[in-house]
Amino acid sequence: MEEAAAAARAAAAGKGTVTPFASLFPSNEAQKAAKRVEEKIGEKEKELDCINEFVTENANLINLVSKLPDELNHEIMVPFGKAAFFPGRLIHTNEFMVLLGEGYYAERTAKQTVEILTRRGKVLDSQVESLKANMRDLKAEASFFDVTASEAAEGLVEIREDFVEENPSKKSSKSGKFLPLHPLSQLALLGFSPQSSPFNFQAINDKNDNKNDAVEDDEYARIMSRLDELEKEELEAEDEEVDAEDDDESNVQQHDAAESNDESDTGEQTDATESDSESHENMQMEAKSNQLPHQIHSETTKSGVDSSKAFTGSIVESADIIQTNSRQQAVTSPQASKPAFDSSKATTGSIMEGGDPIPTNLQQSVTSSQASKPAFDSSKAFTGSIVERTYNLPTSRGQPTVSSQVSNSQPSKPVSRFKMRRP
Amino acid sequence: MGSSTAIRELQRDLENKANDLSKLQKDIAKNHQVRKKYTIQLGENELVLKELDLLNEGANVYKLIGPVLVKQDLAEANANVRKRIEYISAELKRLDGNLQDLEEKQNSKKDAIFKLQQRIQSFQAGKAKA
Repeated sequence: MEEAAAAARAAAAGKGTVTPFASLFPSNEAQKAAKRVEEKIGEKEKELDCINEFVTENANLINLVSKLPDELNHEIMVPFGKAAFFPGRLIHTNEFMVLLGEGYYAERTAKQTVEILTRRGKVLDSQVESLKANMRDLKAEASFFDVTASEAAEGLVEIREDFVEENPSKKSSKSGKFLPLHPLSQLALLGFSPQSSPFNFQAINDKNDNKNDAVEDDEYARIMSRLDELEKEELEAEDEEVDAEDDDESNVQQHDAAESNDESDTGEQTDATESDSESHENMQMEAKSNQLPHQIHSETTKSGVDSSKAFTGSIVESADIIQTNSRQQAVTSPQASKPAFDSSKATTGSIMEGGDPIPTNLQQSVTSSQASKPAFDSSKAFTGSIVERTYNLPTSRGQPTVSSQVSNSQPSKPVSRFKMRRP
Repeated sequence: MGSSTAIRELQRDLENKANDLSKLQKDIAKNHQVRKKYTIQLGENELVLKELDLLNEGANVYKLIGPVLVKQDLAEANANVRKRIEYISAELKRLDGNLQDLEEKQNSKKDAIFKLQQRIQSFQAGKAKA
């Protein structure tokens, strides 16, 4: 239901589409297809059995034909009618009439007959091989259909949108609601754990607070300048950068692995690696400070933030980065969302290359709406972020409760932090 | 009243088209069967030809005609098999062309049926509104 609504909204915006997998490939249809393929496999199996029988028959015949000329004549029981036999003698044991096919017979000796039969055996072998290859293909097809059916049943969605290049600076000046938090969002995008970059989470919550309190634009400008300051400080620090990068690499790899588990486009994968390298560059340029994380780290531990919460925070961040780098966002957001939720639900679809801000927000809302189904404690914080993003949409989902929740969880700390740091 | 007769007409049309389509599909299935048969025969004939080529000059070759084996010249048998292969290949080609034709017809019929269904649906929707 939720996906469908989201799809409708996205379509209305005219920027992207979210298609439930189930509507593209109804699960019962997929199951039917799988069944049909299974039937085909059964047919091929029968054929294979038949040919295998021929092969053994042929081998027996070769055996017999090669033995017959050993004697001048053989004492045998000659079948007479259906039920009767009478004793007889096989003579001319080295003369055979061999059926070549199509009603043609040739007179051959035992040796020549064996040659013909072995040639025939080879043809049969090649047939067996081709049949086996055929069956392998069919089996692959069957498994594909099965997977499709199960995915459709699970409620996977396909998210598609056109890639629209957006000028980041223009956009951010236009709406103060979006904060260009380059370094922080980069980190968040890469799925930093709260231990290594706690200030991430802090900053996010700051923002949430401020936004939910509906402060004016100059407040944001202040925070922005503050963050720029922090950025400068970060640039001074070098040593932290190294382990940070290690960290992020491992994280990204993890995401990639998760991604390949799902049925994602290869294009997406390459994009993922692309963005990976891109963000590496960014990391180097906008290195973080070592003093800041330490400082806030103590704070975070005090406030007892659980990691999943921090992670959803990072997803919120990733929504922000649309401004700074839309492409990256589109690609990485599903990654970021993955580890936080149960993977099958959260991944919910492949995001095609895309990223002008508003539809991406829609996407975010889609992912989150699904993700919030499995009950985990930070779902509220997450929806809060959606509410703030999808400001132009009718958001019936509890804005007030969310905002209160967020502000409850971080009542005064962020403010105090900024105060403390302000000279 | 007029719309209901129109719908009835459309439905009759649809039925006719559906019948045509099923006929076409039957034809295609038949074509597939015949083709399968011919392919098998072609393989068999090729095998025979190979074996005949391997026989030496003096070998006795017989052809089963009805209940009797008739002795044949090796060269004659060879020529006969070649001719048969040629014939089967030509037949297969013809069947391929036929199949393509049938499939095209089937697709156009499917399109027509789809359009008819849409029209009927829109008619019914209009009626429901009114």
